[in-house]
Order: sequence, then C-alpha cells, then structure tokens
Amino acid sequence: MAHQAHAYHMVDPSPWPLTGAIAALLMTSGLAIWFHFHSTTLMTLGLILLLLTMYQWWRDIIREGTFQGHHTPPVQKGLRYGMILFITSEVFFFLGFFWAFYHSSLAPTPELGGCWPPTGITPLDPFEVPLLNTAVLLASGVTVTWAHHSIMEGERKQAIQSLALTILLGLYFTALQAMEYYEAPFTIADGVYGSTFFVATGFHGLHVIIGSTFLAVCLLRQIQYHFTSEHHFGFEAAAWYWHFVDVVWLFLYVSIYWWGS
Amino acid sequence: MYYKFSGFTQRLTGVVSSSAYNPQGLRSNIPSEPPTTFFATPTKLVSESNAAVEYMGANKVPDLQRLFQASEEIPVHLKRGVSDRLLYRTTMALTVGGALYCLVALYIAAQPKNK
Repeated sequence: MAHQAHAYHMVDPSPWPLTGAIAALLMTSGLAIWFHFHSTTLMTLGLILLLLTMYQWWRDIIREGTFQGHHTPPVQKGLRYGMILFITSEVFFFLGFFWAFYHSSLAPTPELGGCWPPTGITPLDPFEVPLLNTAVLLASGVTVTWAHHSIMEGERKQAIQSLALTILLGLYFTALQAMEYYEAPFTIADGVYGSTFFVATGFHGLHVIIGSTFLAVCLLRQIQYHFTSEHHFGFEAAAWYWHFVDVVWLFLYVSIYWWGS
Repeated sequence: MYYKFSGFTQRLTGVVSSSAYNPQGLRSNIPSEPPTTFFATPTKLVSESNAAVEYMGANKVPDLQRLFQASEEIPVHLKRGVSDRLLYRTTMALTVGGALYCLVALYIAAQPKNK
C-alpha cells in the first residue's frame, strides 16, 4: 500500500454517492407517480435504495476511521465543521416553520375570528403531556452528557447504561407524542393552526427519531469497543444533534404549546 | 500578596495565598495517593478468567484493524469479501433497474391523456 506524506484522507472510489443520487431521483419521481397514478412502487424502491446507501456509506466511514485510522486530527476537525454546518442548516429549516407560525399567530386574520388560538380550536393543555415531554427530553440531555463523561473516563459499563437510558427516553418521547397526535382534538386540516402545529411538531418528531437512531448506532459501536476515551467523534456528533433536537423542542413548547394556547 | 487574573473583570485581583494556586479538586491535608488496595481474591489476567468478566462481548477491533489494513488494493466498501460484494451488487442492480424504471414511468406520465 502506498504511504501518504500528509495527514488528510484521500477516499477510495465509492459507489454510494451515485446510488444515493438515484435514490433521491426515485423518491421524488415516485412521489409524483404516487400522486397521479396511485402506485407506490417507485417511491418504495427509492426508499429501499436510500436505506441501503446510508447503511453502506456510514459503514464505510466507520471502517475508514476506526479500522484504517484515516481520521487524524485535521480530518476530525473537518468532520466537526461538517456536523456543525449541517446542524446550522437544520436550525434554518426549523426557523422557517417558526416564521410561518408567528406570521399567522401574531396577527390572526378575521377568518380565524381575529384571535389565537383561532375560534373553534381547543389547544392541548401545555401543562399535561407536553410538559412531561419537556421533562423527558431535558432528562435525556443529562443522560447523554453522563454517557459522554463515562466514555471520556473509560467507564465502559456506565457509558453503555447511560447511552441506553438516553435512547429509551427518546423512544418514550416519541411514544408520548404519537399518543398525543392520535388523541388531539384538531387535525392538520384545521386551518393554519393545524398546519403550523403538525408540520412544526411533526418535523421535530422526525428529528427525534433520527437522533435516537444515531444514538442507537453509537450504542452498538460503544459495545463493540469502537470508541476510545480520547477519540469518539461519532458519539459527540450524535450528542450535538440530540442537544439540537432538545433545544428545538424547548422553542416549540414555549411558542406553540404555551404562548400559542 | 498574591494575585489572580479574574476572567470576568479582566483585571488582576489580590487574593490570599491559599486561593492563588488552588486547582479544582485539590484539597489540603488529604494524601494524593489512595491507600493501597488489596483484594481477597488476587487480581487475575483477563485471559485466565472466564468470559463472564468481559462486559457485553470481547474487543474485536484489533482483528478488524488488521483485516482492513491488509495491503491489497481492494476498496474499503468491498474489503470484507463476499457479504460486501453481495450487498454492493444488490444495491447496484436496484440502482440501475430503478433508474430505468423511473425513466420509463416518467415517459409514460408525460404522455397526454387521450380523450
């Protein structure tokens, strides 16, 4: 194997960007085909291809970093920048939905009854399940920090237990939200209230599921001894993402659930 | 007189000697070495003890490191052999097949509706 005279990572040729791009094509075209021709085949094929791409691409990154040692300090710095920039882009994504919410709720139109919540909408009590959800996510922020310190101090058993607890709290949040969605007295079709509520909280819920999955992968890697006390960036990235999800919920809770009720 | 730099006020402030060098966690009159521990059962090597000592499985990372750092010019996505090849070929088949199916579906969708 030729040896490199620099600390950077020249990646092996990989087919996953192509398969990922085709997956995106299939999912978007499949969505159009589903809308117009009632067939979900193309979209489903796209989803399967997306899952295969994600699994193999991230598996290869683990191989390159943990097994081949390509993630030197400069490379890790780049990965950190990448994750920060990605989370920043997600912040802007949510900012749009908060903008929509405040646009409609700060100056409610006569069609809504000139008030917020609009006439006829019974909002959820912010001090019931939503408050529990807030406590659950805040607790999960504590447990993920506990997991991080355990990893840094080489405490294998504690790291595994605290990380598992974090994931369980995330799943508990998801289950509670799913129940709230089912029991809610209003739907997404109930005017701009329903739209802003379900789109904002719905995308947040999706991010909770993504974050929980990321943490679950980290749990498997921690069990398999991938992380060292000095080098565990995959876990740090998952923890950053999880804190971001927590902060978005706090904004959602204060704006939509509490102020908006 | 001892001085400490306050990060908050950005000035040197006079302090007593005990706080001039006082790293967090350093307490006086406490020995820095813990008392020697001894065990009723003397320490055993992991290799001598049974598998129950490992918490959730043995460390396979060094073996995997050896596998992936073997010097054949195989790209990383195929380096584990048969299972990698199988998954790659399945993914590629779905990619090419899916792309063709997509083009056909879009061609059909673009046809005007015949009254």
